Amino acid sequence: MVTIAVLLKQVPDTTARITVSDGRVDETAISTWVTSPYDEYALEVAIQHKEASGASITAITLGPPRADKVLKDAAALGVENLVRVWDDAWESLDSNQVQAALSTILEGVEADWIYCGKQSADRNQGSTGPGVAERLGMACIVEISDWDVTGAQPSFTRATSSGNERLAPTPPIVLTFTKTETELRRPNVRGIMAAKKANIEVVSADIGDAQVQVVAHNPPAQKPEGRKFEGAESVPEVVGLLRDEAKVI
Amino acid sequence: MDITIIAETQDGGLHPVTAQLVGAASSLGASLTVICPGGAGGEEACGISGVGKVLAVTGDCFATFDGGAWAEALDAVAGGDLVIGAAPTSGRDICSRIAARRGVSIIQDVINLSPGLNITHPIYSGKANQDLTVTGNCVLTLRANTFPPAPSGGTAQLSTVQQSGDVRLAVAEAFARASERLDVTDADIIISGGRGMGHPDNFRHLYEVADVIGAAVGASRAAVDTWEEIPHSLQVGQTGKTVNPSLYIAVGISGAIQHLAGMRTSKYIVAINKDPEAPIFKVADYGIVCTWEEAIPVLKEELSKLT
Amino acid sequence: MTYEGVDFYDIESELTDEEKMVRDMARDWVEAEVVPNIEQACRDGVFPDEWRVALGEMGVLGMALDGYGCAGMSYVAYGLVCQELERGDSGVRSFASVQGSLAMYPIHDFGSEEQKQKYLPKMASGEWVGCFGLTEPDYGSNPGDMITKAVDEGDDYVLNGAKMWITNGTIADVAIVWAKLDGVIRGFIVEKDDPGFSAPEMTGKHSLRASVTSELVFQDCKIPKDRILPHVEGLKGPFSCLNNARYGICWGAVGAAQSCFHSAKEYALSRIQFGNPIAAFQLVQNKLAWMLREITKGQLLALSLGRKKDAGTWTPEQISLAKMNNVDMALEIARMARDIHGANGILDEYPIMRHMANLESVKTYEGTHDIHNLILGRHITGIQSFTREL
Repeated sequence: MVTIAVLLKQVPDTTARITVSDGRVDETAISTWVTSPYDEYALEVAIQHKEASGASITAITLGPPRADKVLKDAAALGVENLVRVWDDAWESLDSNQVQAALSTILEGVEADWIYCGKQSADRNQGSTGPGVAERLGMACIVEISDWDVTGAQPSFTRATSSGNERLAPTPPIVLTFTKTETELRRPNVRGIMAAKKANIEVVSADIGDAQVQVVAHNPPAQKPEGRKFEGAESVPEVVGLLRDEAKVI
Repeated sequence: MDITIIAETQDGGLHPVTAQLVGAASSLGASLTVICPGGAGGEEACGISGVGKVLAVTGDCFATFDGGAWAEALDAVAGGDLVIGAAPTSGRDICSRIAARRGVSIIQDVINLSPGLNITHPIYSGKANQDLTVTGNCVLTLRANTFPPAPSGGTAQLSTVQQSGDVRLAVAEAFARASERLDVTDADIIISGGRGMGHPDNFRHLYEVADVIGAAVGASRAAVDTWEEIPHSLQVGQTGKTVNPSLYIAVGISGAIQHLAGMRTSKYIVAINKDPEAPIFKVADYGIVCTWEEAIPVLKEELSKLT
Repeated sequence: MTYEGVDFYDIESELTDEEKMVRDMARDWVEAEVVPNIEQACRDGVFPDEWRVALGEMGVLGMALDGYGCAGMSYVAYGLVCQELERGDSGVRSFASVQGSLAMYPIHDFGSEEQKQKYLPKMASGEWVGCFGLTEPDYGSNPGDMITKAVDEGDDYVLNGAKMWITNGTIADVAIVWAKLDGVIRGFIVEKDDPGFSAPEMTGKHSLRASVTSELVFQDCKIPKDRILPHVEGLKGPFSCLNNARYGICWGAVGAAQSCFHSAKEYALSRIQFGNPIAAFQLVQNKLAWMLREITKGQLLALSLGRKKDAGTWTPEQISLAKMNNVDMALEIARMARDIHGANGILDEYPIMRHMANLESVKTYEGTHDIHNLILGRHITGIQSFTREL
């Protein structure tokens, strides 16, 4: 029996405004939290893989109670097992702690195929997939842009400097996904009713001490106001400025 | 403190970002070792000022990219309290694994680094920056085109080490890139179009300008979502690619917050938009209030005169 | 940007997780499929068949019914779906209302076990479309005097008569037809291929253009005996269907109003006159404030009614008040929004005129505005004023 795990992270809606107050991003000002967009592609492929192979999927998130939403949304699409890793004492975990927590859970799940986004849409780090793979002694293909999971031997395509490569890996493996043209499936009412009944297992993990301390969050430096010109007749002047003032052409 | 720098290689030589990694690490006042995966670019690395030692690591595993095998081989030869790599895809993969092997943390996409390990990196796709300090050792990846490169003139010694790792990924099939066009993440100049281009066919005007100055063509999410003809690989923004070229020209792009997140750190931004109130003008160094139909022919002509 | 709706009184906090998920599902679908295509559908005067398929796949058809392929969600969840669908277009909500409340509901509540098993799963999936035949050319507000009749002819019932203003009639596989059998109103299930049955489409509408409206014609239409709905007699049958449909309208009208309000707000903020956005002018702000006020009241009314329905405590008069009020306010908001949009408001670049024209139908169907006033009048005074000897 094939087992699949998918790592999902809850992040602020990508259109949300991020405000900083007292040296920290003000999370209470964020009204809409969503599943990180890259993770949605990972979930979509995981479900396609499940449909073709008859596998079961365990969705895992690390986050406070509000992160249950990403698991419920996954359940509405047909994910059977839901796990949230959390401890109320946790805050701003570093990469080492996040990977320790997720690896502990994944060891218990014994998944052959671990799906996740290439990076989260809030921290943008891209460390979790390969980091977890290393801890679990697995291979990892990062930034997958195409796939075929319909057959007995799934294959995945990644970009290289000269084009693309298709790999047909042997599990266990971690797979990280970028956004693609693929249309994501929508939930339906029956799935949502199933999600209502789905149980979320909440677990903690031993993650050790933090090695990274957050000193402050800051808004990005505001650029000095630029210059504005009217009409196409100003284009030669702007090109001149790019050459002589900015020196970028 | 001993620092190991993982060289970024390309086409059998050194990627220019490597000198930037050395430049950033030099400010920390430590001894610097550069290791070259697969042995590529070793001689070049020796010539970067400030480098103490260069290790060219050769092994079977470097024939194709397998982050796990590369990390295993590089970690075996890399000393260092601090490991520094570059932030593109492969660098992130390898460095994440080296950090995990060592049980230390990794901080990716660093844009500011000062002694005492005060580190800044963007979060929320650049909508905020995070200042960090680290207890003990760690691994960093640095954003390209952010730190000044170390000058040439170094005289480091080159040693070659045989070391491989356990390869678990095999390439079943390789495809050459269909188009020879530059990818936005590799480009020093980008010209991007938005929904204001009116029709996907109009992007050919952007390609014409791009060809004149060797730029890559990008697109906003609105354009990618509206027109099937504009592939997602062109998308610049929070769910597309994050870029920081020297020059970013935004044409018919209103400047939605998630687009700004992907390009606001560009060194210079030119915006061409007919709507004087478009938010893109707030981040533009040079804004031109004008339709693209009027501006692009003049732009192409003026740029042609330069080359 | 994800559409966030109007929620001035934090209705969100009163919804369950499942209700929010279902609402978001419908919202995302409307945003992705209906909003970009609705104007073309209206111009062409069609209800796109892929919307039927999508509504079935989403499982919103008959979603508040239990069993037989139906999800058994709360009526509040169903109401929220109606709100989102009608933010797209009243025609889309009408499709779902007719299928769920007017065609599936009577089979579910008044049908035999065999009828439920035969029809409901296929209707829930959208494979089969249903319609509801009560109104006749000469009997609208006064259905009790309907002419259509059924005669018992041994092995069959034979229907004669005509129905009018029947949403989905021409595309329906199944019609729930109300006709008099020995002077008593009974429900019959007519299938599209039954002999003597035809459903020509009505044309020339200026309203609900993305919705099919038809006549149903019965000329010695012969149907098997097992097609009568066994468990209901009299006007109670169609009226209980209409109550459910009216409930969907309460929410739907809020959706149409939100669409107009949003468009008006965006327009007022971007339209510059006398050197300022027109949103800076007090008369425009007054209109926008009124819209927000009425939408908020309408939402609270709909939510309250939905909770009562789920608890089984609603009264027909409460439904009448909410249907009448919410359609009335939505229509007024559409007109006001048109005013704010100036001349631009008449263009199909904006949703305003479409909603306005649709809402004229919504005001009239499932009990006219005035009939609902009479229902409340009877409730207040104890005197019915529907019929009078002159």
